Amino acid sequence: MIDQGIKSRPVYERLKIDPTGLRHHLVTDAAAFLSDPFVAGAEGLEVWSVGSREAEGVTARPMTEKGRNFRSVQQMLDRLAQRLEHEQMGLRLYAAGREEFLWDVHGIAQRAGMGKREIFLTHFGSQARRVHCVHCQTFNERVTTTIVRCDGCGANLFVRDHFSRRLSAFMGVKVDAEVPGDVPSAEQAYL
Amino acid sequence: MILQGNLPARVVGVERISPTLKRFRFAPDNGREFPTAAPGAHILITLKGRDRVWKNAYSLVTPPDHRDQYAIIVRRAQESRGGSHFLHDNIQGGEKVELSAPASLFPIASLARKHILIGGGIGLTPFLSYLPVLKSRSATFELHQFCSADEVDAFRSLVGDDSQVRVYGSHARPSLEEILSFQPLGTHVYTCGPEGLMNAVTRTARQLGWPENSIHQESFGAAAGGEPFIVRLSQSQKTIQVGGTQSLLEALESAGVDAPCLCRGGACGVCLVPVIDGEPDHRDHVLSDAEKAEGRLIATCVSRAKSGSLVLDL
Repeated sequence: MIDQGIKSRPVYERLKIDPTGLRHHLVTDAAAFLSDPFVAGAEGLEVWSVGSREAEGVTARPMTEKGRNFRSVQQMLDRLAQRLEHEQMGLRLYAAGREEFLWDVHGIAQRAGMGKREIFLTHFGSQARRVHCVHCQTFNERVTTTIVRCDGCGANLFVRDHFSRRLSAFMGVKVDAEVPGDVPSAEQAYL
Repeated sequence: MILQGNLPARVVGVERISPTLKRFRFAPDNGREFPTAAPGAHILITLKGRDRVWKNAYSLVTPPDHRDQYAIIVRRAQESRGGSHFLHDNIQGGEKVELSAPASLFPIASLARKHILIGGGIGLTPFLSYLPVLKSRSATFELHQFCSADEVDAFRSLVGDDSQVRVYGSHARPSLEEILSFQPLGTHVYTCGPEGLMNAVTRTARQLGWPENSIHQESFGAAAGGEPFIVRLSQSQKTIQVGGTQSLLEALESAGVDAPCLCRGGACGVCLVPVIDGEPDHRDHVLSDAEKAEGRLIATCVSRAKSGSLVLDL
């Protein structure tokens, strides 16, 4: 039930600096990624990340000259959109984090005119899924189970492996549409 | 889609633009309309001289939605393989000609947020069909046309000269670095003109960190001559002499071989043919360096032989 054999799932590779770019910018939703060898090994890399709330006031700045901590993922994404509006050709953008974060970044970069040779993504951290209810369009965040009750309409959604890069979310469809009330038990699959 | 078959046409106008440039206009000769061409499209025109046939590729300079006429602009090349001389010296208007359906190997990147067009000399021609399209889309663009001082007026008569469109003679030219620096994300550059200019545009854009897919070049008319050689065809058992001013493709065609082709400038790869024996002199932009070193395919429209003969699987 978990491996649904859907071949359109994005595949991620480890990040490495694309030497054809002139300026390099990493955004990550996970402070833990800052100790990844990619960050330490990349000279001149600008790093944006989100500090954990517990560390507020005591967070050390990331270990690079050009680093910045944001209070929330949303704040970082908003700033990224503003920043890319004024950026110039030659930039390469890297993102590391949860899958929905990666594709939110990708969408922002694409709207700013960046193409697939200028954006590099790697999955880091939790496998929890953002699930889009195809019935009421609600996004259900951080879903870890194979079946989830929709926050919007209350339907029991089967979490398909079908990932939308545009919506940065997996597809959730009513699991008991044929036989109402016949809801299999959920498995914890995406931690 | 690539349309097959030729379009019957008639020459309906010949205008002199400069001492070496002429515009030729064609209209359909069957009462119908020409197919809609994409911006940047070219046609092959079949020219039948007294003892020789040329098939030359020229960019359409008419707006893409013009279906009652196609036009091309041709420079009377100094070192010509004959086609441009034939057009300039023998075509007066009224002649019947065969045109191929238009093909586009130089499209506008629809997702680009800004377009920079860099033309050199007669390499301006594909951009003449870009301009009406970019303007009608209200696209952000710049056209930079480089030419010799005595042709500035001729090119200005074709494109004008304003804040978006600049025509430079030999003085007061901006450098390519000035043109390509500080461009916003999502900018694409297109270049058509002499090999040296196109290479410099590509090199400069790469140095400024532009990704490969944002750099576009139109490679035309690269079919320079070379040493004559002999080609043997293993399937049809023919032996054909390729003359010094003739391309391999032209030699195949004049021997009655139905060889595939599309751009006739080493850019599209349609004409690639397997090589069985002999060492090709690769001059195309299609094969990778590794494939060129392997020498198992040859682009017949531009490439020649290093060895005195080649054996092809045709």
